[in-house]
Amino acid sequence: MAEKTYLQAISDGLRTEMRRDNRVFVLGEDVGVYGGAFKVTLGFQEEFGSWRVIDAPLSETAIVAGATGAAMMGLRPVAEMQFADFVSCAWDHLVTVAAKQRWRAGTPVPIVLRLPSGGGFSGGPFHSQNPESSFAHIPGLKCVCPATPEDAKGLMISAIEDPNPVLFFEHKHLYRRIKGEVPDERYTTPIGKARVHQEGDDVSVITWGAMVYTAEEAAKLVDASVEIIDLRTVLPWDKQAVLDSVRKTSKVLVLHEDTRTGGFGGEIAATIAEEAFEDLDAPVRRVTAPDTPVPFSPVLEKAFIPQAEGVANALKELISY
Amino acid sequence: MAIARVAEPSGSLQEVREWGLDREDLLQIYRNMLVTRGVEERGHILYRQGKIPGSFYTGRGNEASAVGVATAMGSDDVGTPLHRDMGVHITRGVEPWRIFAQYMGRADGPTHGRDGNVHMADSRLGLLAMVSHLPAMLPVAVGCALAFRIREEQRVAVAWYGEGASARGDAHEGMNFAGVRRLPVVFICDNNQWAYSTPTHLEYAVEHLADRANAYGFDGVVVDGTDVLAVYREAKRAIEKARAGGGPTLIECQTLRMEGHAVHDDAFYVPKELFERWAERDPIERFRTWLRSNADMADDEEAQIGAWVKKLLNDALQRAEESPQPDPATLLDGVYATPEDLDTPHHK
Amino acid sequence: MATNTAVDVVMPQMGVSVSEGTITKWSKSVGDTIEADETLLEISTDKVDTEVPSPASGVVTEILVQEGETVEVGTVLARIGGEAPAAAPAPAAPEPATQPAAEEATAAATEGQAAPEPEPTPAPAAHAPQPAAADNGKAFVSPVVARIAAEHGIDPTQVPGTGTGGRVTKKDIVAFVEAGASPAQPPAPEPQAQSTPEPAQPVASAPAAAPAPSAAKPAAAPIPATVGSAQAGETLEPMSAMRRGIAEHMRRSLDTSAHVTSAIEVDMTRVVQIREKLKKEYQAAYGVNPTYLAFIARATIETLRDYPWVNGELRGDQIVTRNYVNLGFAVELADGKGLIVPNLKNAETLNLLGMAKGIAEIAKRARDKKLTPDDVAGGSFTITNPGGYGTFHGTPVISQPQAGILGTYAIVKRPWVITDEDGADAIAIRSMMNLTLTYDHRLVDGAYAGRFLRDLRERLQGWGETDY
Repeated sequence: MAEKTYLQAISDGLRTEMRRDNRVFVLGEDVGVYGGAFKVTLGFQEEFGSWRVIDAPLSETAIVAGATGAAMMGLRPVAEMQFADFVSCAWDHLVTVAAKQRWRAGTPVPIVLRLPSGGGFSGGPFHSQNPESSFAHIPGLKCVCPATPEDAKGLMISAIEDPNPVLFFEHKHLYRRIKGEVPDERYTTPIGKARVHQEGDDVSVITWGAMVYTAEEAAKLVDASVEIIDLRTVLPWDKQAVLDSVRKTSKVLVLHEDTRTGGFGGEIAATIAEEAFEDLDAPVRRVTAPDTPVPFSPVLEKAFIPQAEGVANALKELISY
Repeated sequence: MAIARVAEPSGSLQEVREWGLDREDLLQIYRNMLVTRGVEERGHILYRQGKIPGSFYTGRGNEASAVGVATAMGSDDVGTPLHRDMGVHITRGVEPWRIFAQYMGRADGPTHGRDGNVHMADSRLGLLAMVSHLPAMLPVAVGCALAFRIREEQRVAVAWYGEGASARGDAHEGMNFAGVRRLPVVFICDNNQWAYSTPTHLEYAVEHLADRANAYGFDGVVVDGTDVLAVYREAKRAIEKARAGGGPTLIECQTLRMEGHAVHDDAFYVPKELFERWAERDPIERFRTWLRSNADMADDEEAQIGAWVKKLLNDALQRAEESPQPDPATLLDGVYATPEDLDTPHHK
Repeated sequence: MATNTAVDVVMPQMGVSVSEGTITKWSKSVGDTIEADETLLEISTDKVDTEVPSPASGVVTEILVQEGETVEVGTVLARIGGEAPAAAPAPAAPEPATQPAAEEATAAATEGQAAPEPEPTPAPAAHAPQPAAADNGKAFVSPVVARIAAEHGIDPTQVPGTGTGGRVTKKDIVAFVEAGASPAQPPAPEPQAQSTPEPAQPVASAPAAAPAPSAAKPAAAPIPATVGSAQAGETLEPMSAMRRGIAEHMRRSLDTSAHVTSAIEVDMTRVVQIREKLKKEYQAAYGVNPTYLAFIARATIETLRDYPWVNGELRGDQIVTRNYVNLGFAVELADGKGLIVPNLKNAETLNLLGMAKGIAEIAKRARDKKLTPDDVAGGSFTITNPGGYGTFHGTPVISQPQAGILGTYAIVKRPWVITDEDGADAIAIRSMMNLTLTYDHRLVDGAYAGRFLRDLRERLQGWGETDY
């Protein structure tokens, strides 16, 4: 057990699997010599060589499609998008090929796509997005969004082990800011299982990724017992854990950093309305980014990304409802 | 200005033997071409009988190209054939009755009714199922080649695309990546001159699509796609080069799509004279003539082959019609793979 | 303020999901004069039974809906003022909200005496809250509150709300339920049988003819869609919301607490004698009947001081003890079809007189349906008195989340061995009573309960003339 940053935990998980299983290889832009834009794979090429840590051309389509082909040939590729935003260039290969190949043609596509996501550092419209909701709509894909170093390692290993295409959303704002104890040994964190980040009785916050910490901060600003559910996985998502919490507190805030309309929070809210209507003591609230691109200016970005104060205000309204 | 090499037409039996084909191989190629066309012709009939839902696509005119390339592939090689490449499935050993079942959306089709047409593949035969988004499978084939390269296997991936799909970025990214890494992949461009109703001059501005290979750092070859032996020769050469570590090759097979884009399209936009001219170069008729003049195929042998093909297809059709409809209760099955699903020849 | 324009009296909406109500009793007839806010009629809905106060002063000029009829919310029931029918000279106003009438209602009706039920009236499912037609600022009842209310037979409008605009929150209604709004025991005769003016003899507390309202309780409770058809000889009647609440609470209590009952025999002879003396004095000076229940309650309170866990609660992993006793009493409804457990707050501050007054007052309000939500919330210990009909033993169910319930039974004269000052045994005629303590064995041990009962018995047996 050692204290690691979120970023180190991701590296640790990846390295663990590459050492254990020579089918695992890394593919992406600048992942080799440079060690990745965020240095997640720093030192990997020295250890595993240039054919297992592959510097790809600037070709997101070729990276994801290449990973798909290699996976169908029996390898376990871990492809990196330099920023999650760029996955739009590879949409077709995730959604059209990888997600559907098992169902229609019986060919599993065990790939992991690492997606550094999220804002908070003036990355602007193309380096700050949280596109998990778009992919959570695609049957056949899995989307994981770890919040803690421990989960980052465990989910990375689970993702590599999983026989399906797994999108691994790693929040850039957590990379070096969040530290935690991470077991040294190999372990997995189940995909599809939420985690109770903080127990409480009065109101539930359903969230994931960096917003777990925003929720934690907000909870300190209100005079109530706040339960925080860290979904950890958006597809498949732990409906039972959410409904259990809703049934306990009867008041729910769904919080995500992605924009509002069509965001995954809507799916959660709808499910709560369908399956826990008679347990609700207040309307389900959503706190999300507004429906705009992510702004560049720090002032604007602060107005865009949900802040603890705003979350606290929404919590207060729910509590007093 | 053409950059790609323009391949010679097929030569004598002696020359063909030098490329590794004996007489039985040649007759097998002929049978495969006949079965390919026969499957599609009967499919057309089934469609008009209302037995095939959706739409229906054929590759008439492309039989030589598809069978020629597939014949050149090794048994461990893989490929991503498209909707004009029925000949690849036939040559790799997909049984016609399974194809009819696929056409009709039956439970015994390779996709069990989940997908239609030629959107199928038997992964045990080294084939990966195409998607409608062309040429999405091209960079996937590059990924297969990447896996072979990483594992240092002597295997080759063959990626098909058409002249229409050449305009999309996937083709560029895939070929560029393959060129950069000298991956063991061969690109086959089925240039049948029409992308639905769009002619070649509205798709690309180079003389030959194979000219582009040079820009990616590998060789391009233009070959007459109605000449099965020429196609075989060029494919064999490219595949063995790739297997030897020589990197990719782009082979442009020139043909004419002899029917509409799909069964609902009468191809009114294709000049009649063009059809007439290319009908004279029908790949099956060309090869039949070649076999008669170069390989001593006599009337009785030809009739025997014809009868064998006819019976094969009749039996196949009957068996396919007996195949059950898929069970709606299975609809949700297999959206996600389980670890057991990885128990395939490739995922070991 | 009398009115010259006719004022309509309409069927009120008693809760958002309530769409109709049944007239159970008209307190006035056409031609009677009525003051504003004076009770004009009584209604029954699937959520609550209540009196309807007159919206105006004047003469009742028309009564449009008769007793036993069920009409939709908003239906005009009567008119006050305006042109009185010529043939209706206003007689002298009757005593307002008469004491006798109220007391008459206190007499419990037993099941067998209940008047025949009217035709069950279909009602909307309790789980389908309707769009909130204005309900006095408490308009919106959230889904979870609606569900809990339905499960416990509570009218959510009777629960004090702490939410926005006074809305009843889940916490509010859960506290309301846990505080004892739900009954502690199935049909138990009210303890008040002894506190009515007449009975000197608790054993003979058979109530006078029970004036169950002619329309009794309209079966307007939600009818589950799965109601089957009656077999030969059976009659089906829908469960009332209150009955459903009782059922749920009983089941939940048994599922929660480890119920154990211990019993003890108490020689009440001294109490009987002292009560006889005090009775006249209390009646004359205070108009209060010092009931046996008041004695027992007083002694119980004193004993609870020494046994705080009996007055306690298990709350999660914590044991709650209290420096007060909110003493609950199971009171049967006048129609004999349900009961409610109001409690006396800070009963430890009451002397015998205060206790007697308090019990009489709260039991009356229970039967008159005038309890406030506070009256039923926050009980810490409960006494139930099923002895009114002569029963001598019982195992009542604990009112959650309390830890115990005391059962008091009939006082009967029995031959009893006593030992005189010289140590000689003799058989004497004594007024004996059984007491039971049903306790949650998770918290209260058998020995602890036994000592509690012993001490309670000693207090009652040793009651001094000057104790109070």
